[in-house]
Amino acid sequence: MILVDILAGGVRGGTSIMYAALGETVSERAGVINLGTEGCMLTGALTGFAVTFQTGNPWIGVLAAALAGAALALVHGVLVVGRGVNQFASGLTIFFLALGLTSLYGDSFVGTSIHALDPIQIPLLGDIPFVGPILFRQDALTYLSYVTAPLMWWLLFRTRAGLLVRTAGERVDVLTVHGYRPETIRYAAVGIGGALAGVGGAHLSIAYAQSWFENMIVGRGFIAVALVVFACWQPLRVMAGAYLFGACLALSPVLQAQGLGINQFALDALPFVVTLLALAVFGRRTLLAAPEELKRVLDRTSA
Amino acid sequence: MSTTTDPVVVPPVVSESGAPSSDAGGTRRRLVALARWVGAIVIAVVVFGVLVATRGANPFSVFSDAISSTLFNATSVQEIVIKAGPMALAALAVVIPARAGLVNVGGEGQLLVGAVAAGGTALLLDRSAPGVVVMIAMGVAGALAGAVWAGLAGLLRLTAGVNEAVTTLLLNYVALDLLLFLIYQPWRDTAGSGQPTTRPLADGAKLPVLTGTSIHVGIGLVLLAALATWVLLNRTVWGFTLSTIGGNPEAARRAGIPVPRMMLTSLLYGGGLAGIGGMIHFAGVEYQLRPGILVMIGYSGFLASWLGRHRVLPVLIASLVLSALIVSGDSLQLDSDLPAATANVLTGLVLVAVLGWTGSRPWIRNRKKATS
Repeated sequence: MILVDILAGGVRGGTSIMYAALGETVSERAGVINLGTEGCMLTGALTGFAVTFQTGNPWIGVLAAALAGAALALVHGVLVVGRGVNQFASGLTIFFLALGLTSLYGDSFVGTSIHALDPIQIPLLGDIPFVGPILFRQDALTYLSYVTAPLMWWLLFRTRAGLLVRTAGERVDVLTVHGYRPETIRYAAVGIGGALAGVGGAHLSIAYAQSWFENMIVGRGFIAVALVVFACWQPLRVMAGAYLFGACLALSPVLQAQGLGINQFALDALPFVVTLLALAVFGRRTLLAAPEELKRVLDRTSA
Repeated sequence: MSTTTDPVVVPPVVSESGAPSSDAGGTRRRLVALARWVGAIVIAVVVFGVLVATRGANPFSVFSDAISSTLFNATSVQEIVIKAGPMALAALAVVIPARAGLVNVGGEGQLLVGAVAAGGTALLLDRSAPGVVVMIAMGVAGALAGAVWAGLAGLLRLTAGVNEAVTTLLLNYVALDLLLFLIYQPWRDTAGSGQPTTRPLADGAKLPVLTGTSIHVGIGLVLLAALATWVLLNRTVWGFTLSTIGGNPEAARRAGIPVPRMMLTSLLYGGGLAGIGGMIHFAGVEYQLRPGILVMIGYSGFLASWLGRHRVLPVLIASLVLSALIVSGDSLQLDSDLPAATANVLTGLVLVAVLGWTGSRPWIRNRKKATS
């Protein structure tokens, strides 16, 4: 069934975008947009792969990827929060840095592969027609992502920490008045964002491709940033959006497997075109939903 | 600007002499700024050296090899100039909208569609029309394509309120896929083997080069465009109006300035320049479209624009510097067996250091915000 293949591929391919976009949601909720998400994913992908390759344990790899992603994001944090650098300029700088670092350190891993985080079929659930192959024959990191999105919603909207993060993005003054340091909260949010982007990258290298190659993220991180915007900074909508892009990405291999002669590059452009269209349609609405501090960045960027 | 009221006193010396802003204070400030620049670059270079050393390469020989094979080699120097050309135009595509407070991260895509449009025009005309006509047609097509690409982001910004940094970034990937789509199928040179490319440009339509070098007339065009941009931004009402929008869009709107139209024009103008950048690289250097054409040049242009703080002459210099870094990357690969993209590390580090340690301090900005 083509539809099942596309949807299953959508879940599989969307997972890395979802992790990154969930992280970016936290960061943007606190008022910091990070175009370097692409770079954090790259770093996470390489670190995750390299550590898994060395230790043989993918979970240590995922953990290392999260740390590496967070470390890189914190460079962005220092520039943006600490030094007041333009967020887009800093983000792209981070991307460059990651691009260079991963090719410098990833050189020796090109061409190697690992066998970790293979798809596991969940006994009964995996046999459900239609739903089973889509949702329950995935890898462990994908299963984990099913809980991460609701968990992130709960953290952001039902806990004190989430309230602080959202306040940092809405009304910094309130935090100051109540004796909190908005900078600290923003650093934390940016760090969490980078860590999740790192996990997203690790999913791509450890579970999805099970190999490493230079610049393997090819824009997924940028899509994640755009996704957060048109998902109105809501974790559950982010989840849905990520699967939409995953499905766009899955279209090309599935159709090729079916022997349909569609130019691959027309399909490769699809996720980006869909993102642009979604932004065009939902743009006005998202601007109203944007956190106040973020609106300053998005709506009018000062040099 | 009195520094005495500053809640965070940077060096105590400044607060002592800062009461009346004298010439001596200005010179000192300039010296401090210069020292910060030098310090930032030195730190970046040192960190890069350490990173390179962790990969088992001797940083000193890496640097000396890179410098000798990049700056003291005529071919490499020409290569730097040739790559700096489109990069500078992509950087100007960032500079102009930046005056209105817009962030154009789409130089990469605008360069690519410029090259694609020039390539398409060449395929149509170069065997039938005289060379000069083809060149002009390619230039116009490139400029239009680049302008359309940036204009798309501008329209999305104005109609749907979507931030232009995000959309221009996404459009880069669409442009890349468009290029690949065309050269893998409809425009593919069936006579070529190996890497898919378009058919090479007819000799008559190639941009003339300075005899004995590979520097083509497009580079002159870059300088002209830079000059025109400088005049436009600094010596015309249009440029002044644009800066007004960047300063305070609400005030500009109330003063009767057509803010949306100005924003769109600035993006169209910038995109057009980047499109020309793509065209000169196609018609002056590559002569055919290939998969890796102009890769990372547009992004480097974006960084060059920030490195030069959106002022025309510094941006040109920054383009040369970043271009030299890219070219030195190739020498890294040959001499030290490090991947060519390693040079991006140095670019990134320089940017981190320069953006972080030479710019305006956040508390200064906060104070500005408080007074406005």
